Amino acid sequence: MDLERQQQRQTVGDITVPDPVICCRGVNVRYGDKPAIRDVSLDIAHHEVIAMIGPSGCGKSTLLRCLNRLNDTIPGAVVTGTITLDGQDIYDRQQDVVQLRARVGMVFQKPNPFPKSVYENVAYGPRIHGLAAGRAELDEIVQTSLQRAGLWDEVKDRLNQPGTALSGGQQQRLCIARTIAVSPEVILMDEPCSALDPIATARIEDLIDELRQNFTICIVTHSMQQAARVSQRTAYFHLGDLIEVGPTERIFTNPRHRLTEDYLTGRFG
Amino acid sequence: MQTSTLILVLLALSAVAYQLGRGRALQLVGGPRRRRDLHSLPAYYGLLTAVWCGLPALVVVAGWQLLDDRILTALVVDEMPAGTRALPPGELSLVLNDVRNLVAGNVAAESVTPAVAAAAQRWRRLDALGHLGASGLTLAVALAGGWLAWRRITPRLPARNHVERIAERVLLGCSLIAILTTIGIVLSVLWESIQFFRLVPVSEFVFGTQWSPQLAIRADQVGSSGAFGAVPLFAGTLLISAIAMLIAVPVGLFAAIYLAEYASRRFRTLAKPVLEVLAGIPTVVYGFFAALTVAPLLRLTGERLGLEVAAESALAAGLVMGIMIIPFVSSLADDMITAVPQSLRDGSYGLGATRSETIRRVVLRAALPGIVGGVLLAISRAVGETMIVVMAAGLSANLTANPLEAVTTVTVQIVTLLVGDQEFDSPKTLAAFALGLVLFLVTLALNIVALQVVRRYREQYE
Repeated sequence: MDLERQQQRQTVGDITVPDPVICCRGVNVRYGDKPAIRDVSLDIAHHEVIAMIGPSGCGKSTLLRCLNRLNDTIPGAVVTGTITLDGQDIYDRQQDVVQLRARVGMVFQKPNPFPKSVYENVAYGPRIHGLAAGRAELDEIVQTSLQRAGLWDEVKDRLNQPGTALSGGQQQRLCIARTIAVSPEVILMDEPCSALDPIATARIEDLIDELRQNFTICIVTHSMQQAARVSQRTAYFHLGDLIEVGPTERIFTNPRHRLTEDYLTGRFG
Repeated sequence: MQTSTLILVLLALSAVAYQLGRGRALQLVGGPRRRRDLHSLPAYYGLLTAVWCGLPALVVVAGWQLLDDRILTALVVDEMPAGTRALPPGELSLVLNDVRNLVAGNVAAESVTPAVAAAAQRWRRLDALGHLGASGLTLAVALAGGWLAWRRITPRLPARNHVERIAERVLLGCSLIAILTTIGIVLSVLWESIQFFRLVPVSEFVFGTQWSPQLAIRADQVGSSGAFGAVPLFAGTLLISAIAMLIAVPVGLFAAIYLAEYASRRFRTLAKPVLEVLAGIPTVVYGFFAALTVAPLLRLTGERLGLEVAAESALAAGLVMGIMIIPFVSSLADDMITAVPQSLRDGSYGLGATRSETIRRVVLRAALPGIVGGVLLAISRAVGETMIVVMAAGLSANLTANPLEAVTTVTVQIVTLLVGDQEFDSPKTLAAFALGLVLFLVTLALNIVALQVVRRYREQYE
């Protein structure tokens, strides 16, 4: 029985891709004594949207927060295994965390605009990294970021108003604009639509599809429909294990692992 | 019966009433097994009976306490010889004072006039009678109230709702006491201030630069001009508060940032209580620390540097006051910083900001309104602080911006004006109330603004 279960927990499907941007091998995370994910190996390809799905507490958000080392800010979090970004170990002692996070941006579950104006929210990243040489260049970055986030037309007349005064969906797009303003390679999205209404959700999903042209996107979501709509590949997590990974269409039409099938057909989750 | 005994008896009666009320409710439905036939739990019927027994009687007791002196005085005066009654109010009250003293046994019976002795006799008799009457009335009210409530108990009586309404009234009463007391204090200060401003024009008080409240008793006395220009006091208060805030705001704020953002949990649990001990030190202790340690030290240092430092300098008082206020600022700022949601920090870290960038540009920015509110509260604390400045700042009303000189503050002057035997119709004494009014208005304004700011900030993240 135990042996069988052990075998069942082996990842089904192809975890590797040619020319990956991020490469996880044997990643384990525990918070204090509590293991969060066990032995996860997964590649993420350039310019793909990969969805991470699974029931609550399965470790999908934990893996996401490993990719930009945001777990470092949680006391007691221990990460083992290797994660490389463009072939470079991000948990290396030499790695500059600040640099890493500029290359791997993140959008959070709840929109969290800073208590600043719309303009300053977007300008925040470029300012702290010194990406703009002057005011004109900064204006340019802010405008293109807002345009790419599909928010420019709605806020171009109120750039000086506080970001917190926008609607929930606008706030989330502002957070996306803020993230792409520092030109990251990868954008991590942790359930970006869970606090939004269906219309705002649809806008964000369209946006994700457009952003794929320029960025690699890892999205954690509770909505299987969302995973099916926006992603090219899907990874299914269960209680800290990566159970199955593969092309989204194949996962949803023909799951190979019984746990994946149970989850997708709504038998639990 | 003594009032305290009376209250104890009332409590006992209420306890009995509780049992009786509860018992009657149960008995009406036929025992504890059928208590579901009652509208409310049996205890509520007991409570209702007890309240009706105790509360009205307590009101009678309180009323008697407030009125008995006045009633007695009126009755005693009524029986006095016509010549005494016709005296002007001032002299009449002197006679009454004699009577009271005699009643209290403060003077020997031989040393007073027969009229006073007779009045005292009457007073004693009436007082005893009054006490007896009041006790009787109280007990009667208690018994009647309890009996009426007990009679009214039926299974359908919504005792629970009645008790709820009574509880609300009692709570309202308590909050009214707090509010009315405040209003009373304000009115009394206002009243005396108006008396003062009849003698000294407002413009002289607010804009005059000469403060010398000693009044000449003889015409040829020198140096007692009686000038009431409060500007030097305002300036002194401002100077000392400014020095205090210069110390307290940066130190308190940075301490709060360290504790909230950098310190390990162990250090935090150790350091926070220690920091708050500072707030628990009595201000009089700070006062002699300022006067006996800091002031001489400053003087010595000043001499080495070739500076003239007064023995009681604004700097010494301000420094120590600043130290006193540090925990105030730091604990408020710490609360505000901890209240900034983690998601904002994550958002900033996620963009590649370092910890200090995140604190400077996001956390402090978000906590700023709250911190400003805390600082305003601290200022109002500094302006109203008395003990330290009384001991360390001095009494001379110098109009100066030099922190090395002695200055005096509004609070210090209030204390010196009212210490000792004073007559309550001289501008010197009344000036204390005018100063108190100014102090009150300033701290009130600061507190209102500060609380407004803090509240608006709290709403933002809750």
